[in-house]
Amino acid sequence: MTMTGAAVAGGRGEIARTSLRRRIESHPFSWLLPVALLLGVFYLYPIIDVFRLAFTNASLRGGEEHYTVDSIRALIANPILLDILWTTFVFTAGSVIGQQLFGLGIAVLVMRGERRRLYGMTALRTLVLVAWVIPGIANGLIWQMLFSEAPFGAINSVLRMMHVQPVAWLSDPNIAMVSSIISNVWRGTAFSMIVFYAALKAIDTTLYEAASVDGANGWQRFRFITLPQMRPAILVNSILITIATLNTFDAIISLTGGGPGRATEVLSLYTFNTVFRNLDLAGGSVLSVLMLVISLVLAVGYASMMPRREANE
Amino acid sequence: MTSDARERLWDAATYVIAVVIAAFFLVPLLWLLSLSLRTRQEVYLGAARFIPKHPTLANFEQILSDPAFITYLWNGLKLSALGGIGCLLVAAPAAYAFSRFHFQSRSSLMMSILAFQMVSPLVILVPLYRYMSSLGLLDGHFGVTMVYIAVSLPMAVWLLKSSIDGIPKSLEEAAEIDGCSRFGIFWRITLPLVAPGLASAFILIMILNWSQFLVPFLLLSTDSKLPISVAIFTFAGTSNASSTQVLAAACLVAVVPAIVAFLLLQRMIVGALTAGAVKG
Repeated sequence: MTMTGAAVAGGRGEIARTSLRRRIESHPFSWLLPVALLLGVFYLYPIIDVFRLAFTNASLRGGEEHYTVDSIRALIANPILLDILWTTFVFTAGSVIGQQLFGLGIAVLVMRGERRRLYGMTALRTLVLVAWVIPGIANGLIWQMLFSEAPFGAINSVLRMMHVQPVAWLSDPNIAMVSSIISNVWRGTAFSMIVFYAALKAIDTTLYEAASVDGANGWQRFRFITLPQMRPAILVNSILITIATLNTFDAIISLTGGGPGRATEVLSLYTFNTVFRNLDLAGGSVLSVLMLVISLVLAVGYASMMPRREANE
Repeated sequence: MTSDARERLWDAATYVIAVVIAAFFLVPLLWLLSLSLRTRQEVYLGAARFIPKHPTLANFEQILSDPAFITYLWNGLKLSALGGIGCLLVAAPAAYAFSRFHFQSRSSLMMSILAFQMVSPLVILVPLYRYMSSLGLLDGHFGVTMVYIAVSLPMAVWLLKSSIDGIPKSLEEAAEIDGCSRFGIFWRITLPLVAPGLASAFILIMILNWSQFLVPFLLLSTDSKLPISVAIFTFAGTSNASSTQVLAAACLVAVVPAIVAFLLLQRMIVGALTAGAVKG
C-alpha cells in the first residue's frame, strides 16, 4: 500500500519534472539563451559602455574619472579629425568601387566562360577566392614586398629593368593611398565576386532567350536584364563591403602603418592609436561611437533592403 | 561575320582577360614564394631572379627549427579550433530555434544578431580591454577564445540556420511522435543530419580565426602565447632588408594552412556562402 503510494508520488514528481523540461524545451528563448548571454557580455554591454565612456575623461593610465563632455568637444575641435574622415572616405570609396567593378567583371567573365565550356574557369574562380583567405596582416606584408622601393620590391625592380623611373609606392602620400586601395581590392574582390556569381546564376535564363528573340545585343542584354536583376545583390553587397572596409585595420597597419605621415590613417587605425598608443580611453570611445553611428546608418540601409523572406513562407 | 565566329572571337577575348586577372591574383603569392626560396644575395637582385638561380630551403629550415615559431603556429591553431568549436556549440541551439520554432520576434531577433556583425571588434575591445584587465583575463587564451566565439557568432548562427532549413522536418516529426524530447531530437537527429553544414561552418570560422589579428594583438602580451598572425607582424617590425627572405618564408608558412583548408573544402565553403548571401 505505502509502497504503491510512494511509487505514485515518485511518478508524479517525474511527470512534473518532465513537463517543466518540456516547457523549457518548447520555449524558443531557452535555446537562444547562450547566444544572448555571449552577445550581451561581449557586444551589448561594451557598446553601452563605449557610449558612457565617451562622456567621461577616462584614460588607460587610470586616475580619477568623472563625467564631462570635454572629450567630445576636444575631438570636434581637433583639426586632424577632418583629415582622418577624408582619408577613410577615399580609402573606403576606392575599395568599394574597385571591388564591386572588378568582382562583377570576374563573375560575368566566369559565367560566360562556363556557358561556353571554356577551360580554367573554376581555376580562375578559385584563385580569386584564395586571396580572400589570406590573413589581413599577411596581405599587408605581401604587398609591402611588392611595393617596396628597396631592391627586392617586385614592381619597382621590373620598372627598373624596363628603364622606367621607379614609383614611390609607399613613401609618396598620394600614391600610398592608391597602393593601399590596390592591396585591399586584391584581397576583398573575392567576396563581391562570389555574391555576384550567385546572383548571376539565379537569373532566369528564359529572360535572355526572350531578349535574343527580340534582337537584343550583348550590351543591351547586360544593361536591361543583368543589371536590373542584380540590383538587390549590388545594393546589399555594397553595404556589406563598405562596413567591412571601414573596419579594415590589420591590412593597413601592416602595409603602411597609417603613413607616410597620416596619409593612410583611416578611422579604425586612428581610434586604435588614440586608445592604445595615447591611452586616451575617452577620446577613443568618442571615435568608437562615431564608427558605430556610421555602421548603424549603413546597417539600417541594409535591413531595409533585405528581401522579406518571412512573407514568402 | 557570323554569330559563331563572333562567339569564338569573344572566347579568345575571355581567355586573354582571364589570364590578366589570374596574373594579378597569382603574382603576389608567387613573388612571396620566390623571395622565400632565395639566398640573401639573390634577394637584392629583385625581379631579375624571379626564378632563383640558387634556390634554397634554408629560410624555411631557419623558421621551422625555431621552437618559438612552432609555438606561434600551435597557438594559432589552438585558438582557431577552440574558437570554432565553442562558437558552434553556442550557435547551434539558436540556429535550431530560428529554423524550427515559429515565434513572433523571430525575424527581428535574427536581424539584430546580424547587426552585431557590423560592429568592428575594435569598438568592443576598447571597453573590454579594461574589464578583462580587472577580471584577470588579459594575457590568457581563455579570454581570447571567448572573444573569438562572440565575434564569429552572428555569422555562425546565420550559416547554421540556413543549413538546418535545408534538411526535411519529417525525421524530426517521426522522432517526436515516438516520444523523443525536443533536445533529444536536436542532438540525435538534427545535428547529425546537418553535419556537412557544421563542418563547413567550422572550417570557415577557423580560417577567419586564423587571420584574426586585433583581438590577440590587444589581449595577449606574453610572447609564448601569441598566435602566428601577431607573431609575423612583430617579426616584420624587427626585421630589416637583410632578413626579407626569412620574413617571406614566415609569411608563406602563416598563409599556407588557410589556403589548404580552403582548397580542401572549397565546394562546401562556397556553397555555404552563396546559400546565405543572397536568396532574394
